[in-house]
Amino acid sequence: MRRLLHIVAVACVAGSLAIVLAWRYGETVLPFAVTSATPNPQDGKVAGGVYSNAYFDLSYPLPQGFVEGLAGPDPSDSGYYVLGNFVPQAAPTGTILIAAQDLFFAGPHRDVAAAAREFREAISQVEGMSIDREPTEVTIGNRSAWRVDFSGVGLYRAMVATEIRCHLVSVTLTTRSPDEREALVQSLDRLASIGKRAAPVCIRDYAAGEQVVHKVEPAELSSSPMAIPVRIIINGDGTVKHVHVIRAAEAQRKTIEEALRQWTFKPHTIAGQPVQMETGLAFGGSRKVSGADGESGAERDTSPAQRRARRGGGQSPQ
Amino acid sequence: MAKRRFAYTCSLTSTAAVLLASVAVSTLAPAQTRGPTDPGVRSGAAGAGGAYPGLAADQRAFFDAAKDAFEEVDGVPEGLGPRFNLDSCVGCHSQPATGGSAPAVNPQVDVALAAKNTVPPFITRNGPVREARFVRNRDGSPDGGVHALFVIAGRADAQGCNIRQPDFAGELSRNNVVFRIPTPTFGLGLVESTTDRALETSLAANGDQKRALGISGRFNRSGNDGTITRFGWKAQNKSLLMFAGEAYNVEVGVTNDLFPNERENDPSCQFNHTHPESPTPLTPTELAATSQAAGFQSDIALFAAFMRLLAPPAPAGTTATAAASTTNTTASATTTTADTTASTSVLAAAAGTTSTATTSSTTSTTTTVDRGRQVFGNIGCSACHTRRLTSGPADVAALGNQTYEPFSDFAVHDMGDRLADGVAQGGAGGREFRTAPLWGVGQRVFFLHDGRTNDLNEAIAQHASRGSEANTVVQNYNALPLNDRQAVLNFLRSL
Repeated sequence: MRRLLHIVAVACVAGSLAIVLAWRYGETVLPFAVTSATPNPQDGKVAGGVYSNAYFDLSYPLPQGFVEGLAGPDPSDSGYYVLGNFVPQAAPTGTILIAAQDLFFAGPHRDVAAAAREFREAISQVEGMSIDREPTEVTIGNRSAWRVDFSGVGLYRAMVATEIRCHLVSVTLTTRSPDEREALVQSLDRLASIGKRAAPVCIRDYAAGEQVVHKVEPAELSSSPMAIPVRIIINGDGTVKHVHVIRAAEAQRKTIEEALRQWTFKPHTIAGQPVQMETGLAFGGSRKVSGADGESGAERDTSPAQRRARRGGGQSPQ
Repeated sequence: MAKRRFAYTCSLTSTAAVLLASVAVSTLAPAQTRGPTDPGVRSGAAGAGGAYPGLAADQRAFFDAAKDAFEEVDGVPEGLGPRFNLDSCVGCHSQPATGGSAPAVNPQVDVALAAKNTVPPFITRNGPVREARFVRNRDGSPDGGVHALFVIAGRADAQGCNIRQPDFAGELSRNNVVFRIPTPTFGLGLVESTTDRALETSLAANGDQKRALGISGRFNRSGNDGTITRFGWKAQNKSLLMFAGEAYNVEVGVTNDLFPNERENDPSCQFNHTHPESPTPLTPTELAATSQAAGFQSDIALFAAFMRLLAPPAPAGTTATAAASTTNTTASATTTTADTTASTSVLAAAAGTTSTATTSSTTSTTTTVDRGRQVFGNIGCSACHTRRLTSGPADVAALGNQTYEPFSDFAVHDMGDRLADGVAQGGAGGREFRTAPLWGVGQRVFFLHDGRTNDLNEAIAQHASRGSEANTVVQNYNALPLNDRQAVLNFLRSL
């Protein structure tokens, strides 16, 4: 009996240790790491007045008096996330919006500096909006970031953006005075690393072309008119470790996960050593619009009546 | 004695102080929490309902004939029912003119009673015209379809029909009923003529601004060809013809070339033996007297043509001609003119004044509407309620290459739990809705997809809830001082 208890105790300790290791180092050392231990971008949470996000390795103590506001929408099919929305508890005098845009699904790649400049141009087109601070490189929580300040109709705002894991992570601050804005920007200095995980490298379009060794097409997706974006983490041995279907119906999500877990890739190496990496790919989206709208070309610019007239007598050629 | 008097005096003083404080609090508290006031439906002539300016004479004649068809009331011999929501297109689409949205007095009540129907509790004489959808079937599977409110049983022209209305009381008790009100159809020819590429370019153009506001948005798309669908509350309909065909069958119960099947097959209620009930005529109808071409069109083709050729709503103080401008026109000049005149009129409406209002009040009104437009854009409303689009080539020349101002991106957005109806249509999910075009909103009575409010300020508030893309914008709105929120409402009522 005592021997049996001893075995059970050892098994419990070993099991607990395995769970802790899987959670702590799952992405880097354990080939069997459980999916639940792999965070996704939208998995951030607030505890004890601190917003933390394991995927982006971010920790942000909220400014005094700020609490969680209404949750934002689900991740979009262009890979956009509303990570957090924080508001003053007392009165609606400002907001802190933390968001992320997956750069794999946002058109041609642009770095943070380019994104900040384009944001500045877009925002300056809004009637009555003033640019108070041109795009400026700053350091927040030991990270390089870009800051743009703007204001209009009595609201003073700042957008601070940085790039993490091929996402443009932005914090947009809205206040009712320049001083309040500056105070909120200063609060970003308390951004810190959670320091729990080593993030895999991210590479655009790795799942396209010759890097793929074996692929299985998801079933019953060919008719989906809406694009379904997916992020995957690939182990050093080329197997798929984690599948994150960013936005899809449940049935689509299931079939994509089942298919992608069977994919294998050529291992990605750094200095000759195979490493984990992540990339993105999209399924569905049967639209074929680009260049097919007939916006150019004399033939397409004429009306059916005119074309019938040219053909003579309104007779169909067929 | 002196002590007693002192105590009495203290007591009186304390009581007076408490009373004064109470009065002060009761007086001040409303002032502190007072919100802006919706000026209400803009008075004056309807800024909509006419033909698109610049139509050729034969096109104008076609429009007139199509409008007659749109306004025609159907009885059972014309195909009404067996189940229906109303007996004409114009019954639902009449505010502020033919083609619009739900009127202030709901015609469904009288039509229902004429057929001895029970009027469901969500249909009232002073409420919006509504259709009802059930979210789920009894077995828990998704439904989402329209369940017509009324039956023809009991009508003089439907002797022998004995079907019953759906069990709305039961479904309401199961919290399984959601509603839709009619969408206005003004200016839809311009929307139909806008290319997918133009819509995509417009959506992407302010993408950076959207992302700083927590907004994404996407287009609903046809499962058949992947192109953008854009009509209806969830942008679920591909074309005006499809929109017309579906509505004629689902709302009025008339089978047609696009929807040829009755939705109720009880043989005791089948009174028409033509199939479909509203076919494409092979010999000219009486409409040929107005337009020879119209005389050979099916009803749904006429309805679609009416909506296609219907002018956009004109903002206050402008004419329909000014509501859309060719790309060859200097847009800013046109806009300035329209905005200035709009401001003048709406201020009178907003302030409850007449056209004899003093110059100073007119100037004041102009200022608030202009300010409202600026605030509307600045806090992010215009990120989705995009002001301008340009149509592409169109068979009707007047509709081609026109810059117009629908105040919509025609994309669907997640509107959160509070507006969610749980109905998925095409690619739009249960919380997603198309950005409602705001042109003509100044003369609308009911707002949001189910007509739950007739107060613009409340409609704005309803945009915010868990999961909504509009949360940050509404927070910006709430952070504004009262006069700026009022200016936004005044601006909206000028549209």
